[in-house]
Amino acid sequence: MAMAKGFPNDETRKATRSPGFWRETWLRYRRRPMSMLALAYVAAMAIVALSAPAIVGTKPIVCEYKGRLYFPAMGYFNPRWENPVFQRDRFRKRYPKNLLEKDPASWAIWPLVYQDPYRRVRKDEWPGQPANPIGADGKPSLHNLFGTDQQGIDVFAKMVHGTQTALLVGIFSMAIAASVGIVGGALAGYFGGWVDMAISRIIEVVLCIPALVLILALLAIVPKPTIWHIMAVIGFTRWTGIARLARAEFLKLKQTDFVVAARSLGAGQMRIIFKHILRNGLAPVLVPISFGIASAILIESGLSFLGFGPPPPSTSWGSVLYSGRSTIQVTWWLIFFPGTAIFLTVLAYNLIGEGLQEATDPRLRNDD
Amino acid sequence: MVHYLIRRLLLAALTLLLISFLVYALIRKIPGTPLTVAQAAADPSLQMSKADQERLEKAYGLDKHWTLGYLDWISKVVRFDLGNSISRKEPVVRLIGQRVGNTLLLAVSSLILSYLLSIPLGLWSTARSDTIAERSVSLVLYMLYSLPSYVAALYLQILFAIKLDVLPLTGVVTPEAHDQMSVFGKAWDIFLHALLPVTCFTYGSLAYYSRFIKSNMQEVIRQDYIRTARAKGLAERTILVKHAFRNTLIPLVTLVGLTLPTLLSGAIILEMIFNWPGMGTLFFESLRQRDYPTIMGLTLMFSVLTLAGQLLADILYSVVDPRVTYS
Repeated sequence: MAMAKGFPNDETRKATRSPGFWRETWLRYRRRPMSMLALAYVAAMAIVALSAPAIVGTKPIVCEYKGRLYFPAMGYFNPRWENPVFQRDRFRKRYPKNLLEKDPASWAIWPLVYQDPYRRVRKDEWPGQPANPIGADGKPSLHNLFGTDQQGIDVFAKMVHGTQTALLVGIFSMAIAASVGIVGGALAGYFGGWVDMAISRIIEVVLCIPALVLILALLAIVPKPTIWHIMAVIGFTRWTGIARLARAEFLKLKQTDFVVAARSLGAGQMRIIFKHILRNGLAPVLVPISFGIASAILIESGLSFLGFGPPPPSTSWGSVLYSGRSTIQVTWWLIFFPGTAIFLTVLAYNLIGEGLQEATDPRLRNDD
Repeated sequence: MVHYLIRRLLLAALTLLLISFLVYALIRKIPGTPLTVAQAAADPSLQMSKADQERLEKAYGLDKHWTLGYLDWISKVVRFDLGNSISRKEPVVRLIGQRVGNTLLLAVSSLILSYLLSIPLGLWSTARSDTIAERSVSLVLYMLYSLPSYVAALYLQILFAIKLDVLPLTGVVTPEAHDQMSVFGKAWDIFLHALLPVTCFTYGSLAYYSRFIKSNMQEVIRQDYIRTARAKGLAERTILVKHAFRNTLIPLVTLVGLTLPTLLSGAIILEMIFNWPGMGTLFFESLRQRDYPTIMGLTLMFSVLTLAGQLLADILYSVVDPRVTYS
């Protein structure tokens, strides 16, 4: 507008500032109700994951014991965060009775549901609550919302605490995959020649090696694989798609004028790669990251389902599914609830990826 | 073209060598050998004496350093010998031969089904774009696309095999009864057993292909030549099928090439759930038994198929699209 009128004075030259890339993406993303719903789902999942010990557990969130305040529920995040005083006083993880017996003046704020993801709750552990049923008797009920498994462990508790695994697996393993993929693809695309040749061969090799062999062999390197190792291994095997896209983007962008300009100004190669090209080439890589989170969750559940899941201190939806398979004839609840959770989470991340794709794809901009 | 082919084949051979070397190194590094894993499972009283174990190790060549073992394996492979399975005492080729039929049965019928259904579905949703019917179909397809196949498999098992009890839970045939059946009865028996696995194999790719076809079609129908065809007064059906769809064949053909390896690799989890003795379960069992020759044979096969699929896609590309040439 200002252009059409010429430039009579400086004040009319102040055109509205055009929105930046992220802001524009967000504006476009917001128009898709399904994608916004998916984002809300993931946010809710994050809240559940962070507050899991406050939702369901057998340890008080806050309690006053012998005149001091403690937060035993933090022990669900890390066993070391549970104050050793409870071990010294022989609580044996039975808080309700012991708190009253050993200090009648004590008080505590309890989680919403008194159940434990790692052990069976016994009779009258919590006043008036019966012992968890076992096996085929463990149908969903008021005390066990999602039923119990073969050992009498509450499925609802396992699912709520397993949310942490699902969330972490997706984000942590994709963070690894994205960094490896972007750096690899960037180097291959920018330098070309033998660097490109070598990295392209590595991508091909990783693509061809059966994922299970790669994952099992990498897991076998560490003596006691934890959930972190599993996540790292998933990350190191899922970067090829991102690397290919990043490579293509770098091949295209390294020929553009702004890169030539940066080079002629004497910018270093690392500066050109990471500051100039990467910032412009990030958009197409975002989409596979979101889809990758979905597939990482699928792989983790699949691994758990095959019996290679994280060992006991962590629970995952896949391991509930795994335990349900052996008694599929009777225990439908061990399959239905984790299956639905996995499905909804994968759906949510796919919808987010789809939303990002539409929001960042310049070909789909027909409104400006 | 010939030059291009030779270059690609040489590169593929190099990649294969690298893959097989890495996989051999990896599986030899997984703790346990075929002998110790078998022992752990067996009765402790049947444990081998040290001398026996050494004798067996020598017989299978496990006493040598793994790099020498790899050289042994590769020198056999170039003479078209994949060796003998350690845990099953049978040639690897025969083992694969026993399983490949079961996997092909599922893979081929699901491939045919998904193409037969997804092409009309994709065309239909392009023609009826943005109607309520199309939107709800595409929503359902999107949800199916996100539904993990093993979750679907377990749900279907619970519904059809346990609650309704109309389909068999697992297996390829009804044990014992199958042998007494007539030819038609046998086929029907296998059909019933294959129904759930084929469904699980198909619905995901059906959803993926029809979305893929629709998005490609939508790009094509914005082109000028479609407008020209409309202006000529051609029927909508002719425009969609003859003018638009034929131009979306290029990406579709690439997809066919890339699905080649999955035809034979089977799906480990699905085959385990349905207790379907195919390639996926063979692979998983041999991995658990540390059956090195079988793992290597299967890996080699999958890698060859993956690389061949990529090459095939590139070649088909130049066949369907005359603008693409390799020189």
